[in-house]
Amino acid sequence: MLVIFLQFLLTAGCALAQDSGATHADWPHYGGSEFSWRYSALDQINASNVRSLTPAWLFQTGDYAENLQATPIVQNGVMYIITARARVFALDAATGREIWNYRYPDPARSVPGFVGNRGVEVGDGKVFFGTKDNSVVALDQKTGRLVWRVSVDDAQQCRCNISAAPLLTRDKVIVGGTNGDGAHRGYITAFDMKTGRLAWRWWVIPGPGEKGHETWKGDSWRFGGGAPWLTGSYDPALNLVYWGTGNAAADFYDAERVEKGADKSKDLNLYTASVVALDANTGKLRWHHQEVHDDIWDYDSAYEVLLMDREIHGRMRQALVHMNKSGLTSVLDRTTGELLNVFNVPDLHTWMTGVTEDGKIVGRMEPVLGKTMYVCPSAAGAKSWNSMAYSPQTGYLYIPVNELCADVTPNNNPPEEGQNYMNGDFPIKLPAGRSTYSHLDAWDPATGKRAWTYPYKYVLLASMLATAGDLVFTGNPEGDFWAFDAKTGDKLWSYQTGAGHRGASVSYAVNGRQYIATTTGWHTSVVGGAVQALFPDQDWRLGSTLVVFALPEASR
Amino acid sequence: MKLIVIVCATALGCAAQGVKHGEQVFAKTCATGYCHGPRGTSSGAPRLAGRGFNENYIAGVVMRGVPGTGMTSFATKLSREDLTAVIAYVAMLNGVTTSDAAPDTAPSGPALTGEAVRGAKLFTEATRGFGRCSTCHEVGGFGISVAAPIAQVPMSVAALKALATPDVKTATLDGQSMPALVLSEGKQGTLFYDLTSAPPVERNAEPGSVKFTDGSTWRHSSVIGAYTDAELDAVLAYLRAVT
Repeated sequence: MLVIFLQFLLTAGCALAQDSGATHADWPHYGGSEFSWRYSALDQINASNVRSLTPAWLFQTGDYAENLQATPIVQNGVMYIITARARVFALDAATGREIWNYRYPDPARSVPGFVGNRGVEVGDGKVFFGTKDNSVVALDQKTGRLVWRVSVDDAQQCRCNISAAPLLTRDKVIVGGTNGDGAHRGYITAFDMKTGRLAWRWWVIPGPGEKGHETWKGDSWRFGGGAPWLTGSYDPALNLVYWGTGNAAADFYDAERVEKGADKSKDLNLYTASVVALDANTGKLRWHHQEVHDDIWDYDSAYEVLLMDREIHGRMRQALVHMNKSGLTSVLDRTTGELLNVFNVPDLHTWMTGVTEDGKIVGRMEPVLGKTMYVCPSAAGAKSWNSMAYSPQTGYLYIPVNELCADVTPNNNPPEEGQNYMNGDFPIKLPAGRSTYSHLDAWDPATGKRAWTYPYKYVLLASMLATAGDLVFTGNPEGDFWAFDAKTGDKLWSYQTGAGHRGASVSYAVNGRQYIATTTGWHTSVVGGAVQALFPDQDWRLGSTLVVFALPEASR
Repeated sequence: MKLIVIVCATALGCAAQGVKHGEQVFAKTCATGYCHGPRGTSSGAPRLAGRGFNENYIAGVVMRGVPGTGMTSFATKLSREDLTAVIAYVAMLNGVTTSDAAPDTAPSGPALTGEAVRGAKLFTEATRGFGRCSTCHEVGGFGISVAAPIAQVPMSVAALKALATPDVKTATLDGQSMPALVLSEGKQGTLFYDLTSAPPVERNAEPGSVKFTDGSTWRHSSVIGAYTDAELDAVLAYLRAVT
């Protein structure tokens, strides 16, 4: 055992730069590590034995209000999971036995627009999560007892809430919020982990007198959206927090927020539709990169940010990779924000004809007031909110891609605080001439080339997991949980879990045994519901069950 | 539904009448057969309650239907009045509180005029972040109810600034002192608000781990500094109009 441990240390030491975003026995964060790779360095389960993978235990949360979207966190053999209605469980990660549970009280006042809870974070002896009534809550990690709770905003007014997992830095718990499609001004807020006291707030949209404010027309900044509704990443060495920001509001009609004749090859409506780097101590903006200037398609750059050190164009770079709903994927230098590479992932893109090496979008096809325009990808996204994964072994990103379009008809209703401010109808449509509407892809972020693709008939809306066993895991709405060969894309294994996948998979180990855990239960929120209407013969099943796999004891 | 019934029984003119009518339309049109079930709980067709739908979306589906599904357009099948009512009702099932649907979220009582209108806006103004009154006060359904409901409105800005706050004590926890508003003290622990900075933090101290002494250094005047005196005058006018 000692020898193995030493060997592990040596390997880990050598591989540090390449391995800095990998998880090991624990799955400590929403994105696996702070670098958000969703990659486990465990390889006990691998391409040669994955076919004998078998369920080790199940856990039914009993909360069927919405499905189980959360990424489980595993620390020292204990798994922490949260349900849509903020019921938090600590489970023995080897058996599923419940250690404690906590029920967040249902808010007294109705709260609109909430679709679920995407995860807890664990640190400083506490379990942190956001709520539908916009609080951040800290529980005691050992007992599940409430430690502190702080209200981030009045949900009744902003109609925003916190569905994403928080991000932890050394001493802070940081959250964004929803309602970027409403008349609302997005922000990121950091609290002291120990006391819950406010550390800083960064407004996505600069106020009067602040740099970037001039990119807003008139008073539009007040309700300009930009809500960062997912979870960021953290580089402890640079002490920078990275986050994707939402689209500007109104989504499909820009005359209220952009001056007529504005140059759309330049930054507009800052800092919406951007990746930003913030100083973790102060929340001050270090740099920004806007991906879609004047995002008039709801392409929403709020998605996950993967941090990785990679050789790009012959030079080792501290890079980050980020995709928005359009499927445009940017590779940036994460110390400066310099664009290193950009590539388009989905097959269908009617919104533009292409993108130049320096990130300029060519041939923009913008929705026009009073007209209906067929737009691909749809606002449901070339990828949904669920995360991609990255394997340092193959060097590939693993991305669930959807090929859906929409008939976009803009309107020009005035903003009313908190209320929907999309200013457009966008019924989602299946593109003609295809028999498959999604694919699971492997992409090399250094070259922007696709290595392999696996087509699927319906849609893929669950997060990816990659492992050092050269495996990639994800699930589909029909309930199949899949393992692919990470190098070739060959499907190696499939297991019918009984309910659709709209959550995440993680890997961890307890007492030397590797586990793969996945959340099941289809989701019924607007995008999921709309997508389901496209496949009326399908009856994807709801649920709320953790399914955990391992190799049979004898075969290890 | 309970809330709506209570409101209808008491509020003059019954503001929720539209939703009530929508409930009736829904029951005989949408809840039937293998469709959306009582109160949108699903009976074959998708559940409609608690889905995060907003009014625009609901109206779009009701008017256009969903091609390729059993959901046909109701644009010509229902009267305009019935359509409006049923959309409001489904919106209510999704927590969307229209002016018809939820009198509890709009400032109630007589219509506000002049300074009070301005005061209402200032009270909750989002651009002020945690510096706004509604960070600690709930009035008319908006705001976080950290402080007890405002029972008496100060006579003047000077009185507001000089407000005595005997409920605020000094807590000592883990060797640190902080201004505190005690919520409950029991065998399970002590719940209190830490008022050190805005927003207040609700803290749950282990039994016996926190001590309170009367009085504190906390002053109401120090948390309203983001407002000018003229603005505070307007806020007071608003509070007088609604309390």
